Amino acid sequence: MKAPNTILAATSLLALLLPLDAAAFELKSAPKVAFIYASTAQDGGWNEALDAGRAAVESELGLDVAVAENIPEEATRLRAAIDLYVKRGYNIIVGTTYGYSEAMSEAAAAYPDVAFFNASGVHNSENMESFYARTYEAWYLAGIVAADASESGKIGMLAGFPVGVVNWDINGFAQGAKSVTPDIETVAVYTNSWWDPVKEGQVSEAILDQGADVVATDLSAASALNAAEKRGAKSIGYQLDMSAAAPEGIVTSVVFHWDQYLVPRIKAVIDGSWEPEEWGYFEGLSAGVVGLAPYGPSVSDETKAKVETAKAAIIAGELAPFAGPLSSREGDEKVAAGEVLSDEALWGMDFFVTGITGTMPAAQE
Amino acid sequence: MSEFLLAWLTVLPSYAAPLLLAGLGLVLSERAGVLNLAPEGMMAVGAMTGALTVLGGHDPWTGVLAGVAAGTALSLGFGLAVVVFRAEQTLAGLATVALGLGITGVIGRAHVQKPFEGLARLSETGWGADLPRLIGQQTLLIPVALVLLVAVWWVLFRTAAGLRLRAVGEDPAAADVAGANVQAIQLAAVLGSGALCGLAGAYLSVASAHVWVEGMVAGRGWVVVALVIFARWRPAGVLWGALLFGGTEALTLRLQAVGVDFPVYLGAMLPYALTLVVLTIASLRRGASSGEPSALGFIYLRQDKH
Repeated sequence: MKAPNTILAATSLLALLLPLDAAAFELKSAPKVAFIYASTAQDGGWNEALDAGRAAVESELGLDVAVAENIPEEATRLRAAIDLYVKRGYNIIVGTTYGYSEAMSEAAAAYPDVAFFNASGVHNSENMESFYARTYEAWYLAGIVAADASESGKIGMLAGFPVGVVNWDINGFAQGAKSVTPDIETVAVYTNSWWDPVKEGQVSEAILDQGADVVATDLSAASALNAAEKRGAKSIGYQLDMSAAAPEGIVTSVVFHWDQYLVPRIKAVIDGSWEPEEWGYFEGLSAGVVGLAPYGPSVSDETKAKVETAKAAIIAGELAPFAGPLSSREGDEKVAAGEVLSDEALWGMDFFVTGITGTMPAAQE
Repeated sequence: MSEFLLAWLTVLPSYAAPLLLAGLGLVLSERAGVLNLAPEGMMAVGAMTGALTVLGGHDPWTGVLAGVAAGTALSLGFGLAVVVFRAEQTLAGLATVALGLGITGVIGRAHVQKPFEGLARLSETGWGADLPRLIGQQTLLIPVALVLLVAVWWVLFRTAAGLRLRAVGEDPAAADVAGANVQAIQLAAVLGSGALCGLAGAYLSVASAHVWVEGMVAGRGWVVVALVIFARWRPAGVLWGALLFGGTEALTLRLQAVGVDFPVYLGAMLPYALTLVVLTIASLRRGASSGEPSALGFIYLRQDKH
């Protein structure tokens, strides 16, 4: 529920073959913004990162933003909430989960005068835009930090389900680590859950038992970092700065900065200059929507410099985490020399790069 | 390989303990004839109350007790509904789950994801530092769970009170005629199940995750419902089931970490598949009972003629 699950993105491309109207979207009345969350907004993870973006919209654009929480990912429940907001004159509605994709798309068709946004959604139209971030770029940087922090030559990452948006985080992390220490081993374990802090702590320990001394979490619970801290290991958080969970051992967290997207975007809607991206908004370090949280106490200046160099190169387009020649762990060529993995292949990423230990369960259909 | 096995055996208790504790609670309730589908909700309030108590500056053991109290309090509502007001037990159980999840969401929202110092492992205490890893990595709640296992078995099968409790679950009318106070026994059994489920929930937050988030029971309560059927309502069966279900989960995750190709979705399905197998075998063996208390889910009214 909480984390993006965008496996259908690739298949949904079929639904988007109709060309978009080039005209910009115009509001018919004064802007009224509403955010809809599938669980509590202050969930310490995905929603909280989005809610920080909402707060920025409020303060920077001087708007009062309405918030609805715990609206389940069921078409009827979400539609009821949207209907209510539209009836009350709200004309900019922001959804926050992949699970809202279908119902929001239908609502967007029913209310052409309302602007819709959906985080990690899959549909786009004249008045709807889905958005997500190239998280693998930030995970590449985190991999550099992890490799430098590791003494055992083994690092690990726990993740939710084997879907494209998750797999690219693991692969990006491993690619970054290998750029510093070519023979480093990355242990990857899926919890098969988006939200189970007990299991996340246990998996973190399982990774440490394999000899890893840096654990990164692609999930939301602080327990994974807490477990590493207890064992004296280093850790990397996700979604928000998780340093409170592991003040000693944390090296950094991969964090979202949704304000970098939401504030200018909603401003554009108000200005009348918004034209939804045909394939949805999908940017990374260059747009500032993802990045690293402040470093932990153990990170050296040398490591920080390496990260800055890589970051600048990624932003400049000189470095791509998944540049060819790139093979899967099994030796199949995925990207030819001189090319870069396409966005379509990213969304459907179902392989591990070399250097990763772990089992990828058969992808969900 | 032996290193892998040792590591797996070391973590096994932490996977099995919450299932064992809540399972024992369900055995109490269902042996008295009260079908209890509410562990997911009762564990949820136990987990939240335990965590909030520790976050409020109290000792982890106080947190555990608070979790027990919270589970008991929620089960009192369930018990009053089904025992005193004779509500339909399936619906009342489901309503209790919704209530427990709802309450925790409302009360706990300001305390999500706040790490706290939970129950220490034995090796982290002053006197336990030299224990072998297999024991040193456990919290004191593990021996407590084993003591409770023996206690539940002893009460059920070695005391007059236990005999009456089981009699109520088998035939409330006969037990009533024999002088047992059916309602009082059922209410006590339900409260016992709430206390044990609350303890299981507090185990998750205070002993295991050291953090609370909404919905952190994450379906374990439903596994327990199946587990008790698998165990054929026997305390020892609950122990084996908890070890099997918990052990499989621990093994699945660890095999992934070493890169063994293991069908994880089959592993996740195991509790439910095994429960179906046990039920099927029980019904195929004519004459042999599944162990299900005869009056499970039955609403007993004294004036009813049978």
